[in-house]
Amino acid sequence: MSSVISSLAEIISFIILIAAAVAAIELYLWSHFKYHNKKLILYSLGIFFSIAFAFVFKLSGFFSVKVFSLFLIWELFLIYASKNLLKGKKYLPYLLAAPAFLGLAALLMYPFIFQVYLSFHDLKLTTIMKWKETGELPFAGIKQYIAVFTVPPLAETGFFKLLWRTLAWTFVNVFFHVLGGFILALMLSEVKAFKGIYRTLLVVPWAMPQVVAVLAMRGEFHSQYGFVNVMIKKALAIFPWLASLGITPVNWLSDYPLLTCVIINIWLGIPFMTVIILGGLQSISKSYYDAASIDGAGYFQKLYYITMPLIKPVLMPAVTLGTVWTFNNINVIYLVTGQAGGTEQADILVSALYKAAFTYNRYSYSAAFAMVIFAILFSISVSYSKFFAEKKEGKT
Amino acid sequence: MRRLLAILILSFLSYSCSPSSSSKNPYEIVLWEMEDAQVAPYIDETLTNFCDYYLKKYSIKPSISRTHYQGEDLRQQFQAASLAGVPPDILISPSDTAGLYAISGFIKNLEKEIDFSIYNKPVIEAVALEDKIWGVPISNGNHLMLFYNKKFAPNAPQNTQELFDFCAKNKGKFDYCLAFDMGEPFWLMPWLGAYGGWPLKDRTPTLNTEAMIKTLKFYLSLKYDKKISPPECDYNCMDSLFKEEKTPFIINGDWALSSYSSALKDKFGVALIPKLSETGLWPSPMISGKYFLVSSSVSPEKMKVIKELMLFYTNKENQIKQYKVLKRLPSLKEASFAKEIVSDPLSAASMAQILKGKPMPMAVEMRAVWDTARNYQGLATTRKMTPEEAAEKMQKNVEKKIEEMNR
Amino acid sequence: MKKETVKQILLHIGLICAALICVYPLSRIFTVSIRPGDRIISTDLALIPDQATFLSYIKLLKETYFLRWLYNSLVITAATSFIGVSLASTAAYAFSRFEFFGKRSAMIVLLATQMIPAGMLILPLFLMIMKLNLMNTYLGMIIAYSVSSLPFSIWILKGYYDTIPKSLEEAAMVDGTGHIGAFWKVILPLSTPALSIAFLFNFTAAWNEYLVARVVLFSSKQYTWTLGLFELQGQFITQWGMFAAGSMLVTVPVLLVFLYSSKWLVSGLTLGSVKG
Repeated sequence: MSSVISSLAEIISFIILIAAAVAAIELYLWSHFKYHNKKLILYSLGIFFSIAFAFVFKLSGFFSVKVFSLFLIWELFLIYASKNLLKGKKYLPYLLAAPAFLGLAALLMYPFIFQVYLSFHDLKLTTIMKWKETGELPFAGIKQYIAVFTVPPLAETGFFKLLWRTLAWTFVNVFFHVLGGFILALMLSEVKAFKGIYRTLLVVPWAMPQVVAVLAMRGEFHSQYGFVNVMIKKALAIFPWLASLGITPVNWLSDYPLLTCVIINIWLGIPFMTVIILGGLQSISKSYYDAASIDGAGYFQKLYYITMPLIKPVLMPAVTLGTVWTFNNINVIYLVTGQAGGTEQADILVSALYKAAFTYNRYSYSAAFAMVIFAILFSISVSYSKFFAEKKEGKT
Repeated sequence: MRRLLAILILSFLSYSCSPSSSSKNPYEIVLWEMEDAQVAPYIDETLTNFCDYYLKKYSIKPSISRTHYQGEDLRQQFQAASLAGVPPDILISPSDTAGLYAISGFIKNLEKEIDFSIYNKPVIEAVALEDKIWGVPISNGNHLMLFYNKKFAPNAPQNTQELFDFCAKNKGKFDYCLAFDMGEPFWLMPWLGAYGGWPLKDRTPTLNTEAMIKTLKFYLSLKYDKKISPPECDYNCMDSLFKEEKTPFIINGDWALSSYSSALKDKFGVALIPKLSETGLWPSPMISGKYFLVSSSVSPEKMKVIKELMLFYTNKENQIKQYKVLKRLPSLKEASFAKEIVSDPLSAASMAQILKGKPMPMAVEMRAVWDTARNYQGLATTRKMTPEEAAEKMQKNVEKKIEEMNR
Repeated sequence: MKKETVKQILLHIGLICAALICVYPLSRIFTVSIRPGDRIISTDLALIPDQATFLSYIKLLKETYFLRWLYNSLVITAATSFIGVSLASTAAYAFSRFEFFGKRSAMIVLLATQMIPAGMLILPLFLMIMKLNLMNTYLGMIIAYSVSSLPFSIWILKGYYDTIPKSLEEAAMVDGTGHIGAFWKVILPLSTPALSIAFLFNFTAAWNEYLVARVVLFSSKQYTWTLGLFELQGQFITQWGMFAAGSMLVTVPVLLVFLYSSKWLVSGLTLGSVKG
């Protein structure tokens, strides 16, 4: 009992701590926005916060002139922005979004700048000690970026082949995630009994620790002892005519490693989409369907004209993010092809990147590689969001 | 409200005083390891014994904190921590990553600190790079050998011809006759040696050789012609086959000794990997061991304590105890011939296999060899490429990768 | 009505098949956990293996800090989910209901944060955690976790808020409440399905996280269960029995959370009634 209380206290103290930080941020921004036309107050606020900032960071031992001058520049920008751009109007959305974005910036700004820096320099095994001691690296210009495209990152497979493979991997996975998720969600929303039980059982692959889940699934694809081939053999024994359709036991792991990975990854990813789509289906009012029924619309018509468009705002972020995640997800590939990598038949861009980074310690090259992946994903998602935005306008 | 404030202040305080991974105090030692989980109790016990021993000898009690990392994690974390200036003081690690750390300057070379003549020579060779020695050997081995199940075969075959005859005669009594991980190049090396090849000569890869082609063909014949080995079998698969008594022979490393002997009990036997009848040579598994590697940031005062620790950990008494608990062979010469070890048939067989082996090269070039060989070996042994082509491409690609690594 | 019965039966059959496919691997993991000899794969497919034993569970609970690890994970996950969802719900409101300078690019920036391959973050993350003196503490992890799930939560919540008609809020604002009041009284109660999705996502993401935890934590007692279970994995030998037993045990809390939250997942009923 006491442990429950202490754990509650622990959770609550974390939450209070972060709430205090959020409150501080809000107060800081609000005071700037609020007093935009009172010069004296605004500038004294700036001075006050600069001193407070310096004090807090001195305490935490993280203070440096660089950090402080960055803060001063930010402070000036904020004063300028609240005076000339916002002018006290419509600052609520900024206040609402600020904690989230400051958190993201704090977490990801440094790693991102770090990657950019590395990608234009030359960090590898032999320069690493020099870097540690002097903090300087030989400048490499765009050499690393050129190498990404011209030198095959793996033994056999070049960059563009890998890119193609990655795109196919992403597309197939996301497509089946959405399709499977849609079907299951529709079934779940229409079934009447045992809803909760089904819903819980269907999310098992999502809830299970991935490592064991994938390794167990991998065992099922073993050419001899795995469930899949055993079942195929049994089916063949009962229905010999299946063989004429080309169904035979297959060496999944050595002949079709990528296909095996795709099947396992689809299995892993469907529950997530199911839950998202199920949530989206809840937002659609029954009255739409009733109205359509009166007009004599069939099931699939209703699906196409009512469900699809109305679910889009919920589905679109899931699809976009799902694409980004799948593109960069090698958990399944890593575990299925053997942790050391196996042959290259199942490698995608990111697994090639990790090989360069971790097997060969080519830090700068892999940083450039990561930036290229970033750029590819960025352009894909910008075009995605354009696509969805146009659709939206078309509707209204 | 007052309580909330108290919690707030307390939690602030508890965050501000956090420990770091390495301490300036010479008696606080941070150790990272990547051992199998069953080894942890042994390490902890020995470390505790050391602290007591040190207390008695110098009347100061050092404290040692141990952290476990998985293989790749240990490497990444150690590199990151070294860059951040907070590395652990010592690692317990196999020698394969030592080359990497040595080149980056993250670990100390130790020949000035320690008299290495007390250790077995091959195990030192595996951690020597350009005439410098980078680690203190804890155990000798990490090598492959043949394990067999006496239920099927009362005696192990002496050469491959005997093995093939046995397999042909007893077909049907088991699923497969000889199981081993045919996807990992580590299992390829003994056979490569038996055909007269070796992956590295000094620091130059030598993969496009007649020996490599023959070795790959040998794999193909095991899998497809003689059907002795399973067509698709990784580590977990071969391990299960042997534990479930579906195969009489398995090639696996000394790390598996204790778990197999407890799984099969009396039926368990250890032997040399059979001599290759075709060439008359013995297969030569790679020999290395587990080593202490010392971070280059360790201060001279701390080095004194660490030196004591390493010598204590590898003294005769502990080396023999290590064999009894973990079935790992001693690296200390004096302990290698102790009667507890010589009289045990398991260790005798394991020791005999070591004598047939060759030290695993520590050079970073080996990383490129492993990575490339794995790919082409996989392609060749699943008949997606001819052995000749695979060997040729292996060599070309290794050279390319090594060049990229150093460029 | 007969047509409806047939439909329901078909639905049940379909769902049972899907549920079997989803649960089957879990049953295999259960098999591994009670199989002696640390074998993750086996040559036979029996659900209950020969000489089945619960020794792995006993060993896991007795010889490791497993319960402690679970507790640590629970603390981190609970705090993370709460903070993550609260931050996201307000930010998403800004994106859904206001037009402001930089809105579209901010949405893209959110996406962009997900685009750097996670493995590349190890080194900079280590350096950062080091400098901020957050090694071996939970605070850093809680911040990192709640922040890293934000992009998804914000996007999904924004999408959901968009489907709620503005007229409802305007009605509330006519009554004299401001934006914040309308958000609190109208939007939040109506979007429980999306909030619970965001919560579930935050929960599972933090519960299963490995990479950041590996960088931050290094003492065994502080471990989350992900790190703890990986203690059992060595260079060659992994104690699969205990590993699988642990995996079974850590799946239970997640399933309980799902079971509980599914009540909220379908409480859009109120929404349906007001929307028509």
